[in-house]
Amino acid sequence: MKTKNNLIKILIPVLSILAAFVIGGIIIVCLGKNPLEAYGFLFKGALGKPSKIAQTLEVASPLIFTGLAASFAYKCGMFNLGGEGQFIMGSIVSIVVSTQTGITGVPAIIISVICGALAGGIWGAIPGILKITRGLNEMIVSIMLNYVATLFMGCVFTNILRDGSVPQTPAVPKESQLSNIADGFRVHYGVVIAIILAVIIYYFMFYTSKGFKLRAVGMNPTAARFNGFAVNKIILAAFICSGAVAGLGGSIELHGKQFRLMQGYGAGFGFDGVAIALIAQLNPIGTVIVAIFFGILRKGASTLQAGMKIPTSVVDIIQALVIVFAVAGTALVRLPQVQQFFRVHFSGKRRGAES
Amino acid sequence: MEEILRMSNISKQFGEVFANKNVNLDIRKGEVHTLLGENGAGKSTLMNILIGLYQPSGGEIYLRGKKVSIDSPRTAVKLGIGMVHQHFMLVEAMTVFDNIILGVTHDKSFFINRDKLKKEILELSEKYGLDIELDKEITEISVGAQQRVEILKALYRGAELLVLDEPTAALTDIEVQGLFQIIHKLKEENKSVIFISHKMREVLEVSDRVTILRAGEAVCTLNRDETTGTELANLMIGREMTPSIYEKKDGAEESVLELKDVDYHKNNKHNGLNHVSLCVKKGEIVGIAGVDGNGQSQLAQVATGVLAPEDGSVILKSKKVTKFSPKAFIDAKVANIPEDRNKMGLVGNMSVEENLVLKATEDDRFSKGKGFFLKKKAIHEYALKLQKKNDIRCSSVMQEARNLSGGNQQKIILARELDENPDLMVAVHPTRGLDIGATGYVHDCMIEARDAGCGILLISADFDEILKLSDRIIVMFEGQVMGEYSGKNPPIEEISLAMAGKE
Repeated sequence: MKTKNNLIKILIPVLSILAAFVIGGIIIVCLGKNPLEAYGFLFKGALGKPSKIAQTLEVASPLIFTGLAASFAYKCGMFNLGGEGQFIMGSIVSIVVSTQTGITGVPAIIISVICGALAGGIWGAIPGILKITRGLNEMIVSIMLNYVATLFMGCVFTNILRDGSVPQTPAVPKESQLSNIADGFRVHYGVVIAIILAVIIYYFMFYTSKGFKLRAVGMNPTAARFNGFAVNKIILAAFICSGAVAGLGGSIELHGKQFRLMQGYGAGFGFDGVAIALIAQLNPIGTVIVAIFFGILRKGASTLQAGMKIPTSVVDIIQALVIVFAVAGTALVRLPQVQQFFRVHFSGKRRGAES
Repeated sequence: MEEILRMSNISKQFGEVFANKNVNLDIRKGEVHTLLGENGAGKSTLMNILIGLYQPSGGEIYLRGKKVSIDSPRTAVKLGIGMVHQHFMLVEAMTVFDNIILGVTHDKSFFINRDKLKKEILELSEKYGLDIELDKEITEISVGAQQRVEILKALYRGAELLVLDEPTAALTDIEVQGLFQIIHKLKEENKSVIFISHKMREVLEVSDRVTILRAGEAVCTLNRDETTGTELANLMIGREMTPSIYEKKDGAEESVLELKDVDYHKNNKHNGLNHVSLCVKKGEIVGIAGVDGNGQSQLAQVATGVLAPEDGSVILKSKKVTKFSPKAFIDAKVANIPEDRNKMGLVGNMSVEENLVLKATEDDRFSKGKGFFLKKKAIHEYALKLQKKNDIRCSSVMQEARNLSGGNQQKIILARELDENPDLMVAVHPTRGLDIGATGYVHDCMIEARDAGCGILLISADFDEILKLSDRIIVMFEGQVMGEYSGKNPPIEEISLAMAGKE
């Protein structure tokens, strides 16, 4: 039973991706190009050389964080759509710590990253508090807070921390930047941190009592309350952790890749994270894999445009289709008719037990 | 008197179960006809057939002597049958006027001629003494007024026959009197009313004739003037005392749960508690008898810490409870078989084994370091042990709990709750929807727990279950305790009357 469920959970994203590529291929044909050649370019651009793989991983790194943030909250049944705002708030606090306090080197990175996570956690706590005390819809509050964070960031790089004439903040000093894993490869240690974090979250979710309770609250808050769980506390904790993961991601992106805040920083990471979490069926390890897949699409899209004059928006369409198919697929297998089908065709043993 | 409706030999089958079996009902013009019966006696099914929500499996319906087929509520409205549901079907954000004209088709003009329609409605409301303000929004008016809107709505659609489904359930006493006056007016205007209730006092006050339903069958129809409350109550409950298969016991001196003058929303007759005092002793089963919705759910939730009472005190094992939280009660060894096992008892998307250890993941048996690392193997073995002991039928303990049958789901909850050797168990409708085998198993488990010294508060709308298991029986009506009876040779007549609200 369990293995069958797991199989379905893997099958849905894989089939969704394949279906999206097929439809993407049809669109490419309509544009008058050869789809196979196009996909060749796409994957060569993202995975063709070790250095390209490194760049793909770097692109994927912030997506892993926002994906993990989203799946953490979703596991508790809470729709945190504010990943972007939490990501940005983490980055803002980090840039302040790294450029204004005078601390440099590894201590700067550590303090800055911790402060970034805290800031993200606080930003994530706001929708959580409003949810449990006043019953406000967490989706709306968290989305609105994205705008607040983005506009506040605008205020920071155009005014408070403006660096000269260009509207951007000063850069994180060289010695406080996250170094690359290997010379000549553009991938920083943030990816490693992201993967370790995914493993920790996986352990937390499935091997600790707290994670167990969090999942129980997510699946049935009423039963959780009747069985003595502190439901409100758990929901708030999920929001804070989710925000902290996103804030950590922002901080690491800042120290590893962007180094300074400017117009457009962080845009779209939050919602991509939500999509990634959904495609990965909220599994932390799956989130890493799907985030890397998104990295491949993003990295490959530019090669595709340069090499075959196919607009990057085609890749955006493929990305969107994957989301649609994955969500539809998840809903499909929950339908009673489909469950019945599985029962009849894949599990003779169960029928015996039932009768 | 002229007959307006005759339902003849109506049967309705759901799967193997008959919700209605060969029911005959005839309604005369200008009479108030009460349908009396316990929960699940088939009143709602019969009325749903009448208004076209269900199709009968057998039987015929005659309206004014002509055979009709009512295939949808729309047809029912056309035929002049109106229903006021227990839960009103009003659009809350709209005004009273808008609700009344909503979906009415006899005005053919494209634009709504508000003034004309308003005049019509006002005339109608004056005729029946239905006092309402047309321009108020539904949310602004009282429950009683909302009900008048529903009645007016039905009359405006040309209803000759009105079905009122437990119309007094949500009303205050004064509003009930107002409603009865309206019913009187309806009678004067030669409309017929089908009145559904299980409150004896109201039934006797308002009806002309009474039809009693029991277990899906119409027992008989009586004239109001030729019967008494006692006779009706007996017919409704309709059972001879069969000796219980379980031995009845007296509890020990020591009480595990005591409620003193507990109030919770006490003015709310249907989901409140009004000065409830009772106690459950060690090693006895106290059964709470009563028609659903007379405060039993609230009683159960107060006794398990889910709700905090507004007044009065709860004493758990001779300690006064100060903090009402499910956790505090669980720690005090209170087990809970909640009324809705899917919603409150189980996490359906989790596996059987996860549900079995739901409350105990921080226990040393199942995790290292107070929940820091779950011992999956120990949990699995424990689950297998309980599965075997309680005969939980599933293909594997890893199976999701929601895919199990109701009986097996209930066994999971029982296994989890009883394995903690509770001092008090609160069981609400523990066998609702279960087959005979599973029901017997649940009953055996409860008796076994009692004999091991657990005090049990059993709340059930199934009177047979109460009679079979209880060592002591307490009757609840409108949030109040109506009386207490011994479980050995209980006076069934008296209890039935108390359940219907007559002292």
